[in-house]
Amino acid sequence: MELSNKVKKSVMAGMAVTMAATMLVGCGGGDKGGAKGDSKVLKVGVTNFADTLEPTQNFFAWVVMRYGMGETLAKFDEKMNAKPWLAESWKIADDHLTWTFKIRDNVKFSNGKPLTAEAVKQSIERVFAKQNRAKTFFEYESIEAKGQELIIKTKKPVPNLPGQLADPLWLIVDVSAEKEGRDFAKQGPICTGPYVCESFTRDKCVLTKNPNYWDGEVPYEKVEVPSIDDPNTRAMALQSGEVDMAVNIAAGDIGLFRNNDKFHVDEIASLRTVLARINQKPDHILSDKKVRDAFISACDRKNYNEVLLKGTFKEGSAPVPPSLDYGFDQLKDPNKYNVERANKLLDEAGWKDTNGDGIRDKDGKPLTLDFVVYNSRAELPLYAEAVQADAKKVGIDVKVKSVDYNIIDKMGINGEFDLLISNITTAATGDPQSYLNQYWHSNIDGSNPQNGSGYSNPEVDAKLDALNSEFDKDKRRQLIIEIQQIYLNDAAGLFLGYPYTNIVSSKKITNAIMHPADYYWITKDIKPAK
Amino acid sequence: MGRKELLHRLGQMLVTLIGVTILTFGLTYIAPGDAVDAILETGDTLVSAEVVEQTRHELGLDQPFHIQYLNWLTGLLHGDMGISYSAKMPVVDRMLLGAPGTLALTGIAIVMMLVVSVPAGIAAAVYRNSFIDYLSRVLSFLGVSMPSFWVGLLMLYIFGLKLGMFPISGGEVDLRHMVLPAATLSVVMISKFTRQVRTAVLEELGKDYVTGAQARGIPMNKILWHHVLPNACLPLVTLLGTYIGWLLGGVAVVEMVFAWPGLGFMAVRAIMTRDFPLLMGFVLWIAIAYMVINLIVDASYYILNPRLKKRGGE
Repeated sequence: MELSNKVKKSVMAGMAVTMAATMLVGCGGGDKGGAKGDSKVLKVGVTNFADTLEPTQNFFAWVVMRYGMGETLAKFDEKMNAKPWLAESWKIADDHLTWTFKIRDNVKFSNGKPLTAEAVKQSIERVFAKQNRAKTFFEYESIEAKGQELIIKTKKPVPNLPGQLADPLWLIVDVSAEKEGRDFAKQGPICTGPYVCESFTRDKCVLTKNPNYWDGEVPYEKVEVPSIDDPNTRAMALQSGEVDMAVNIAAGDIGLFRNNDKFHVDEIASLRTVLARINQKPDHILSDKKVRDAFISACDRKNYNEVLLKGTFKEGSAPVPPSLDYGFDQLKDPNKYNVERANKLLDEAGWKDTNGDGIRDKDGKPLTLDFVVYNSRAELPLYAEAVQADAKKVGIDVKVKSVDYNIIDKMGINGEFDLLISNITTAATGDPQSYLNQYWHSNIDGSNPQNGSGYSNPEVDAKLDALNSEFDKDKRRQLIIEIQQIYLNDAAGLFLGYPYTNIVSSKKITNAIMHPADYYWITKDIKPAK
Repeated sequence: MGRKELLHRLGQMLVTLIGVTILTFGLTYIAPGDAVDAILETGDTLVSAEVVEQTRHELGLDQPFHIQYLNWLTGLLHGDMGISYSAKMPVVDRMLLGAPGTLALTGIAIVMMLVVSVPAGIAAAVYRNSFIDYLSRVLSFLGVSMPSFWVGLLMLYIFGLKLGMFPISGGEVDLRHMVLPAATLSVVMISKFTRQVRTAVLEELGKDYVTGAQARGIPMNKILWHHVLPNACLPLVTLLGTYIGWLLGGVAVVEMVFAWPGLGFMAVRAIMTRDFPLLMGFVLWIAIAYMVINLIVDASYYILNPRLKKRGGE
């Protein structure tokens, strides 16, 4: 078919227009990185999970606190001890039930109203009214406000009440502001922190300086917090200078910022433990302590954390992570990596490979274990597969069963596993008491349903009960260390590793620090560098 | 399209909608776990069984399937789609937060696609087996083969980080933030659509009426623009409809890479957290969007192909 020049011309013209249009769109409003060197505006790249700023909904209070809006009566230091914050001091009466908190008298809410004990009382009552989780922290007989004194009488002794009240759920809001029409969910609550919400969506939060802040000068006029869920994109935004700091840069990207004189990496072990619960009910293979010991000894945990996970996790051994001061270094792990010992123990337990298939067996039954994992945390399947490979070397056949996050809890309670992995917060309130109770306190007729693994040791129960009502800090610490040592001796669980968390910041700002309690990201201390 | 047929179509849509909602509700119901586990993060937080049960009761998740579905349906008929469990706000409000992003991205990506694909496809057909044709073929293969998250990261790296032309962090719906995600989406669509335009045009060019018109001395240019292209439009409009439907459903991967506030990522989260009300709202939106698009596509046939109008009018 012959085509005229005209056709050619019109087609070409069409293409030219196309190209031009694409180029034009492509050039629309180029602007090289916004945040560079601005001493009035701080920009922070995060991942946000909250759709509203109502602190009593789901876990949204974490965001209110992380963004520098909310503050609690007590604040955790770097060893997770509760220190005075909005309360300047507290004391416990001899009945071990009555706590008196002295509220600072120089604190104002961001709307200028003074922070009184009555305001704190209303805020605490509001949490109880709106969130079921409240009572897992403590239950109260009465709350009384006298001037700047807040008196809380608990139903049961709560040794760590200041720590419980340092959880973000208990950040103090001005309840009267809500009555006057402030929509906490959409506009953000009225709190006492250095910054106040100006606008909020899940994707971006803009904060402004709290003009009534009580604790010194607030360094920035404005803080912008875009939520950048993709870790690669977050790293790029930091590299380009679009954000001044970013929370949790991924393993693959952190190398870009280490040994780079433009950035500062602050990295610490978090409060989490990657734990594989071990089912030791009588009808399970791992009820035999020798097999448990052998299994744990076969796992090269140093390798998993340092090589496989590129050092983004710390090698696991004890139940409570080393970020907390509960004797991590003095605990003795009897089941350190030792393949020889693992083989010997399995032989002793009567598991031998009689049919030569590489898997040990006993009474015609192969040594096969179900390892339940969920995928929503990327490291968990990696751990499981690494354990599987190591177990194979000593003749244990591990079957990795991948399930949805939402059924992990149920499978744990029902004991539908030989091993079940989770990445668990051990001390959200500064103290591992609930964690140590929840998985290992004896479950007698459903007294502790979360212990679905059948672990039961009267000595542990006695120590846990003592811990639950002990108020003396040193004695508590000692008990926690002893309990951990028994767990290790009993092979009560496989403690695989502890994740590191990080904040990476441009050197144009200072004091961007990651705390073990993952609640304090944007603080009054973050300032432009001089 | 006559009134009778329109009514018939609307009836069909209603039946489809009910089917879609029952199916989605049923699938979410039988999926293991429920919203309570997600809300309380039971998998990796310490929560007592009592609190879990209490929360489940409050959300009505302890009721049997048909009661839950009927409650939802009753609400819907009263214009209330419920409160999202994970977002803790009315489903409509949550969806309205994602809708502008998705609609804007759909619009721009479709325009980008048309602006590139239509001329390129026509050129490839008109100059069949020429350099242009081969080039467009190679680029198409390349475009289809690259996963969109990778194209997105590449675009961010080049145009965001290296050249500093566009913002990286996203979170806002405006033209500057929209260009890279729209371009990323259009890469795949351009690659497919260009080939389809080429095929459609080629098919028409080979038909007798083109030869006839040429024999009568009508200039090729006129034949191409006045006769070939309108006829080639028919199959392309159908394809265009499916692309628009796909985009309106949100594109989770691209939204994630560009931190773009759209419906796709919202839907993925709704599934992960077993957030029935939100998920149902999303499914309704998709179903209605597809049905409306199909209706429009069908209606457009009557305009593009007058022969149908004659028959339909009888």
